[in-house]
Amino acid sequence: MKQSVKVILNGLWKDQPIFSMVLGICSSLAVSNKVENAIAMGAGVTFALIGTAVLIAALRKLIPGRVRMIAYMIIIATFVIVVDRVLRAGFPDISKAIGPYVGLIITNCILMGRAEAFYVSNGVGLSILDAVFNGLGYSYTLIAVSVVRELLGFGTILGIQIMPATFTKWVIMAMAPGAFFIVSLFIWIMRTISKMDPDKAGGGM
Amino acid sequence: MKDKIMMLVFVLVLGSILTGILVAVNWYTTPVISKNEELTVRSTVLQAFGIPFDKNDVDQVFAENVQVKEQDGRKYYVAGAKGIAFAYAGSGLWGPINGIVALNPDLSTLRAVTIIHQEETPGLGSRITEQKYLDQFKGKDFTSGLKLVPPGKSKGNNEVDAITGATLTPKAFLQILNTNLSSTVPAIRQGEKQ
Repeated sequence: MKQSVKVILNGLWKDQPIFSMVLGICSSLAVSNKVENAIAMGAGVTFALIGTAVLIAALRKLIPGRVRMIAYMIIIATFVIVVDRVLRAGFPDISKAIGPYVGLIITNCILMGRAEAFYVSNGVGLSILDAVFNGLGYSYTLIAVSVVRELLGFGTILGIQIMPATFTKWVIMAMAPGAFFIVSLFIWIMRTISKMDPDKAGGGM
Repeated sequence: MKDKIMMLVFVLVLGSILTGILVAVNWYTTPVISKNEELTVRSTVLQAFGIPFDKNDVDQVFAENVQVKEQDGRKYYVAGAKGIAFAYAGSGLWGPINGIVALNPDLSTLRAVTIIHQEETPGLGSRITEQKYLDQFKGKDFTSGLKLVPPGKSKGNNEVDAITGATLTPKAFLQILNTNLSSTVPAIRQGEKQ
């Protein structure tokens, strides 16, 4: 019981993939321009994480040490392709918007990192919990960043007009530089709140 | 030796299971995906002809109003007095651009241009998808090629305005249209003569 609470807190806060581990930054920069893209990407990564967690945790005693990386890769790739196909079949508009980044979940370090650090040495139940909360940790970052970017860049949230019609759109927010500004601001704010100091042993948390 | 064989067996078994999952997903989603793509093309064709439709009855409206024909391996769409349309494609400034262009029945002026896919800079080049920009193609004579002129300067019947701050995308876009029009329209003329 105590261990599962620890797993939840690690995913959402202490080992949160983005601001604490700085993993998955590439995709969080790329698809955080609109809230719906962020939700779809968050859901996709969470699903791929859960699938990977189940398979790797279940097979952990069978996976030979030497080929474990290859085993992770093909398991992750399988679930990513499933996510991509399902998005293309069920949500063609979102799939078009986030296009290549779904495929790039394969190279998302959150999956590889969690597989090597957690799933390969823990049971199926705990691994699923870890996958769900790491996925949520990643998703809430993406959604927080995309709310700011969509509001300033398009004047909308989830496509609904929020800003007055006279609002001048900050085009830069919809483009790559806006992502760098907002993601780094997010990391700064979160690290300040959590009093995290990368120079201290254990991150000072 | 034994662990090496075990390793091989493991990789083979795992690979087969995962391949099985992928085959199942592929089998299940392929028809849905191709239907989605076909639906996008059909609704864009209807949009180009200016035929009103509801999202749910695209197929029905399409079947009632549009005929699909083929000449020299080029597919085109005929909608009676509303003209003829065909799909165009080419490279924009940053990535592929494709869509549907509709011609008036005289086959020398444009009826409408629509875009299905583009990857231009959001807020700059991507403004070619704005209705206001696409509307200016209506009625333009393309027989001698469309020409790009600075914003607000278009006078001739084959001149199209550029977009301030994003000249290269409209330039690439016009190039795509000109290439596709000059290669496909002769085939359509031939097909319609018969």
